[in-house]
Amino acid sequence: MSWLRAACARPGQDGSADADVFDDEADETLPAQREWKKRVERRVREGYRDGVDAGKAAVLQQGFNQGYKEGAEIIVSYGQLRGTLSALLSWCGLQDRGSPWIEPLSDLLDAVGQCEQSVLQRLTAAPPQPHVADLLDSIQDMDLCPSAPACEKSEEEGLGRFDTDLNTDCRQEADPSRSPLSPGHRTQRGSRPAKPSFSWIAEQTASIVEQLGLSADILQNIGRPGN
Amino acid sequence: MDQPPDLFDAIVMAEERYHGEGYQEGYAEGSCLGLTEGRRHGVSHGANVGSEIGCYQGFAFTWKCLLSECTTEKDSKKRRMLDSLLGMMQKFPYADPTYAQLHEDLDRIRGKFKQVCSLLSVQPNFRVGPGRSALSF
Repeated sequence: MSWLRAACARPGQDGSADADVFDDEADETLPAQREWKKRVERRVREGYRDGVDAGKAAVLQQGFNQGYKEGAEIIVSYGQLRGTLSALLSWCGLQDRGSPWIEPLSDLLDAVGQCEQSVLQRLTAAPPQPHVADLLDSIQDMDLCPSAPACEKSEEEGLGRFDTDLNTDCRQEADPSRSPLSPGHRTQRGSRPAKPSFSWIAEQTASIVEQLGLSADILQNIGRPGN
Repeated sequence: MDQPPDLFDAIVMAEERYHGEGYQEGYAEGSCLGLTEGRRHGVSHGANVGSEIGCYQGFAFTWKCLLSECTTEKDSKKRRMLDSLLGMMQKFPYADPTYAQLHEDLDRIRGKFKQVCSLLSVQPNFRVGPGRSALSF
């Protein structure tokens, strides 16, 4: 807050009123200056607090709406995969209570749940939308850097990190040539990665559907995360 | 102290100015915080609804495929019910938080889903929403 420091350092020159106040009683200049400085700081703090509240209130709903759409559109695919697995599981159970497919299907269902949760965690921890950069620029211009740590620091590197994270989970699905649902691109069962990705689970599901002799149409309802 | 009223006004105005300058800076930071905070809540709510609707979609679509070869009267009734549920979800703008009927429609879809499950005599074993209690958000 450079302007505040400047204002406090030379209260007499900041305006004729200030000069008048302090010049009249020369002996009391120092205590009066201190008093005035305290008042100024208090007013700036109050103003700042009011501003933060007002600024927050003005955009909370906008942020909520953006996040809501994003969360719903990304997570719906995970729900579709879980619903599909759950239907297959209940169907196998109705056909044969001791079906050997129950266990692998349950495992995949758990894996989708974990995958979904970790994506959600990343989404809620991810930095704000790119256009916030404009705001951040203006805050930097105002020399407010020490009081805007969270948003500012994480912006650049945070966006990069988010992209990288998505790469591991979702980016593969965006490439049609590597579609998990296409034949001839199947992972061997039993080689379960430590952190199964959406595409790996979808591939395993496709493999089970095929081995059950069911139509691959079943998998058509599953979207790809982010689409 | 020749003109006390003017002096007093000047002090008040200066204080107002300092308040206003603080306010502007606070507003800029508050906007940034508000977007982040609002977005975080939004993502979590949107993900809840998306996850739930996705589950119903995947479940209903898969069962419809599983029953496509079956020809009994009971099976075609199940298919009609599944079609009706899928139709309700197709029209449902689950990703639009400004849609006024969001909760009403969601409740109707939940009711329909329960009917479908009971007709199919199955208990879907997915939790609705990751790590959350079933059917509540």
